[in-house]
Amino acid sequence: MVASLTRRFGDLDIAEEAAAEAFATAVGRWPADGVPPNPGAWLTTTANRKAIDRIRRENKRGDKQKEAQMLSGDDPPGPLGAIEDERLRLIFTCCHPALAMETRVALTLRMVGGLIMPEIARAFLVRETTVGQRITRAKAKIKAARIPYRVPSAEDLPGRVSGVLAVLFLVFNEGYLATGPDTDPVRHDLTAEAIRLTRLIRALMPEDGEVAGLLALMLLTEARRTARVSASGELVTLVEQDRGAWDAALVAEGHRLVRERLAARMAPGRYQILAAISAVHTSARDVRATDWSQVVALYDQLVHLDPSPVIALNRAIAVAELDGPEVALAAVDRLEHTLAGYHAYHAARADLLRRLGRSQKSRAAYDKAIELAGNTAETAYLIRRRDQLG
Amino acid sequence: MQYLVSVINDTADLATPDEMAAIDVFNDRLMAEGHWVFAGGLGSTSSATVIDNRGGEAMITDGPFLESKEYIVGFWIMEAPDLDVALKLAAEASRACNRKVEVRPFLRA
Repeated sequence: MVASLTRRFGDLDIAEEAAAEAFATAVGRWPADGVPPNPGAWLTTTANRKAIDRIRRENKRGDKQKEAQMLSGDDPPGPLGAIEDERLRLIFTCCHPALAMETRVALTLRMVGGLIMPEIARAFLVRETTVGQRITRAKAKIKAARIPYRVPSAEDLPGRVSGVLAVLFLVFNEGYLATGPDTDPVRHDLTAEAIRLTRLIRALMPEDGEVAGLLALMLLTEARRTARVSASGELVTLVEQDRGAWDAALVAEGHRLVRERLAARMAPGRYQILAAISAVHTSARDVRATDWSQVVALYDQLVHLDPSPVIALNRAIAVAELDGPEVALAAVDRLEHTLAGYHAYHAARADLLRRLGRSQKSRAAYDKAIELAGNTAETAYLIRRRDQLG
Repeated sequence: MQYLVSVINDTADLATPDEMAAIDVFNDRLMAEGHWVFAGGLGSTSSATVIDNRGGEAMITDGPFLESKEYIVGFWIMEAPDLDVALKLAAEASRACNRKVEVRPFLRA
């Protein structure tokens, strides 16, 4: 509803306020008056009226004609297609390249995902006032610089979609491995929202490989959600997860998407490769049946595309299964200068040192990892592993 | 809607003949497509003068208001319906003049 109001009134602030007021009125009136026969239409009409009232109150100069247009234009509640279209417009606007990444994420979560400020602040470990400022400034910029409210044209779409995917991936990752000592370690509302929005983009661009790849990656990761945190709130690694608890339907859909991309015979982008790695892991009925040479081969491809040290770290962890922990440790140690502040680097070292029987060094590495880790379930897991060293 | 597209220079060099030729071609296109409002080169900041007349007497200072490594060496004022169009034009402007450009919307009444 916010999306269609934004389209009509071209102002995110007015749209949001009007929608909130309409809901508030409904909550106040419907228990007494009864729910109207078409609640959606009632809300839309009420919100439209409230938005018009506000515009009149603000007395915008030279907008008399615009106002007349808004009053006469009617937008009857359209079929599902029209609503999804509105949401796409909103996503592309919120993810516009003229907005900084953290701004895009905050704006998308607020305007498209409907999260409230405290939730967004908690998700990304920033102060609520910071989130508020970012969103206020973004809305002001959208208005002042006239960032258009539309789905990009066919020729611009490929260039714009990668920005959207980056935002959705960030949102998903935050939901999957939530930061913060007081946060639930896995936030289903965020992962579900990220998947929902990625599906929407896929409906818009069914041929795009990276969109399919990101969706597959999310589904294959989400499939493991319930197996990922134990009853005592501890992270359960892939090696230890009860594979029977995985969501078979999500795994099947993820695999189907990965196969579809393989069949397309096009050079895969990074999401497609990450999805393929996930597919190899989720194809094994048992961790011992994992095709590690496939995993390493896929990481070799990924390293070409993305020479980031985190990818190199993940590749080294896979290499340990093929070539043993000594070789892997040498590769991991080479990343020290870039990853010294990253908890997963120390966790990987700790595990490899443990396997090599170097308990003292392993313990020190676990200590460092625990100090740096931000996720409650992960911290619990690392403490257990460290204490198991004896 | 009008946008100020400022050209940012970070060396002492002004436009080369090749760059000037590219800018001319770009300007022709801007005019032909109705985006041109105004454009001009400013050159080095050493020819600038600052006046502060907020107090009792007008104070005149030789030089730019800000001494910095990066400074504005020229600008366009372009007409465009929205930021997407403005950014596309500005991208071509940046390529033509071979420098970073800053796009700012003018305030509307």
